Amino acid sequence: MAATQDMKGKGEGGDQNFDYMFKLLIIGNSSVGKTSFLFRYADDAFTSAFVSTVGIDFKVKTVYKNDKRIKLQIWDTAGQERYRTITTAYYRGAMGFILMYDITNEESFGAVQDWSTQIKTYSWDNAQVVLAGNKCDMDEERVVSVDSGRLLAEQLGFEFFETSAKDNINVKQTFERLVDLICDKMSESLDADPAVTTGAPTAKLTDSAPPLQQPGCNC
Amino acid sequence: MGLKFSQPPSSPFKAPGFLSSFRRASSRQPSFNPPLQSLHPSIFSTLRRPPAVKPGDFIPLFSDCVSAASSRTQEYLGFQDPEDKFHPSPETLTQVPSAPRTFQKHVSLNMADAFSCTAMTPEQRVLLGADWVWALLEKPTKTPKVQIAVQVLHLPRRKEAEPTEAPSSDSRSESVQMARLEGGHRSVQERLVDFCSSVGKDCYALFLFFGRKNDRENVYGVLSNNFEAAVGKCSKIDRTLIENFFKGSRYLHTCSFIVIVLIKCLKKSFTGDVMNNASAFNVK
Ligand SMILES: Nc1nc2c(ncn2[C@@H]2O[C@H](COP(=O)(O)OP(=O)(O)OP(=O)(O)O)[C@@H](O)[C@H]2O)c(=O)[nH]1
Ligand SMILES: [Mg+2]
Repeated sequence: MAATQDMKGKGEGGDQNFDYMFKLLIIGNSSVGKTSFLFRYADDAFTSAFVSTVGIDFKVKTVYKNDKRIKLQIWDTAGQERYRTITTAYYRGAMGFILMYDITNEESFGAVQDWSTQIKTYSWDNAQVVLAGNKCDMDEERVVSVDSGRLLAEQLGFEFFETSAKDNINVKQTFERLVDLICDKMSESLDADPAVTTGAPTAKLTDSAPPLQQPGCNC
Repeated sequence: MGLKFSQPPSSPFKAPGFLSSFRRASSRQPSFNPPLQSLHPSIFSTLRRPPAVKPGDFIPLFSDCVSAASSRTQEYLGFQDPEDKFHPSPETLTQVPSAPRTFQKHVSLNMADAFSCTAMTPEQRVLLGADWVWALLEKPTKTPKVQIAVQVLHLPRRKEAEPTEAPSSDSRSESVQMARLEGGHRSVQERLVDFCSSVGKDCYALFLFFGRKNDRENVYGVLSNNFEAAVGKCSKIDRTLIENFFKGSRYLHTCSFIVIVLIKCLKKSFTGDVMNNASAFNVK
């Protein structure tokens, strides 16, 4: 299971002091606001200048959930087509995706289905996805209604938020929800087959379980 | 050239005289004419145009970008520090070429195309092996037509062109360490070549050598969209391989070679490799 490989508990590089590491990816058309969204979440900053991402980049952020330190390695992918080879190479091993469109850009919404197919093609089956309709601060220029966003999310089986990196709306919530979904999914997998995660007990992050010595996943 | 360049929100170069204060007394004008060229008046000289820019005429502008960046870097490297107290970080040095205003990100030009120069984040520098990326953009879509991913290989203290800041507990250095793990065993040169080949033949890798031993003030470069071809001939793409391109003058081109490549790429006749061999150049 791809998750266990990324949940090795104690990482090799950098700050070793964490319980879990989740690999997350932000995907979607160019200019929908992926970099801005990550910038807002990790650094609480926003700039209106547009510098299209070259290839791929990432940031690290640590969050806490029931006394567990979860390190999020958040990959910011370039939306431009020319980088598709390099970005899809990072889908493997990702436990969660934020699939983003821009509520003022019909084309970016139309592309959501294709991005979803990319996830199915390149990532592992249990990867969790949140659909984010970004730039909700620009309501006057809205071309995608909240309802059509929600409906599409339902059809694809994704959670849904409308967000704004600019006004800091639902940014933290989107990440937190994704982390919750990943934790739930992992607990499910553990309940179904504890052996898949190197024999770790099925304690859940949602319980206030004591810290475990085993390197396996137990959320 | 009557062009407007947007100022970056903040920049280490904003401080008045950041670079000029290091300028030598006999500061040279940016020169685009290496000795080779003055011996043989060549087609390269035609690339130097009068300042008037016609719409769509990106060549002089690009020349100026390259020229300005290299001359700034040369000034910087030629600076004599009388007390030897000046120790720029590798990061500062890699920012130098993007300092001139002509390089500012997504410069909007009065022509059909636009250039951009994007400085990579420390993580990207490790992951992709690039220090910065030049691109010629298509106007309506702003998608790059041609890109040149640049890796700077001059820094005496910088091994393998990776950031070498002392490890600290902040998240930045932590993420740089993580990025190194992602890179696996590939050399930073291989990472750049892999990145360019993953994008396609319109993405060139340019290795720039600043301040080589015994020749500190010159800038050397090797440019190709086909470095991966070297893998068949030798097992590994590394610094030694890149430096080998400088042996033998038959590969020596002027810096304007980059411009020639761009022209070739823009012409519809462009069908794949512009160069089967990498091309080295030298700016004096
Ligand atoms: N009004 C508004 N503008 C935003 C918001 N998020 C991003 N932007 C702007 O949209 C533009 C594109 O944002 P980026 O974050 O660079 O887009 P991206 O998705 O990373 O684009 P690529 O890197 O090319 O894939 C920038 O000018 C941002 O300032 C938002 O929530 N509201
Ligand atoms: Mg981006």
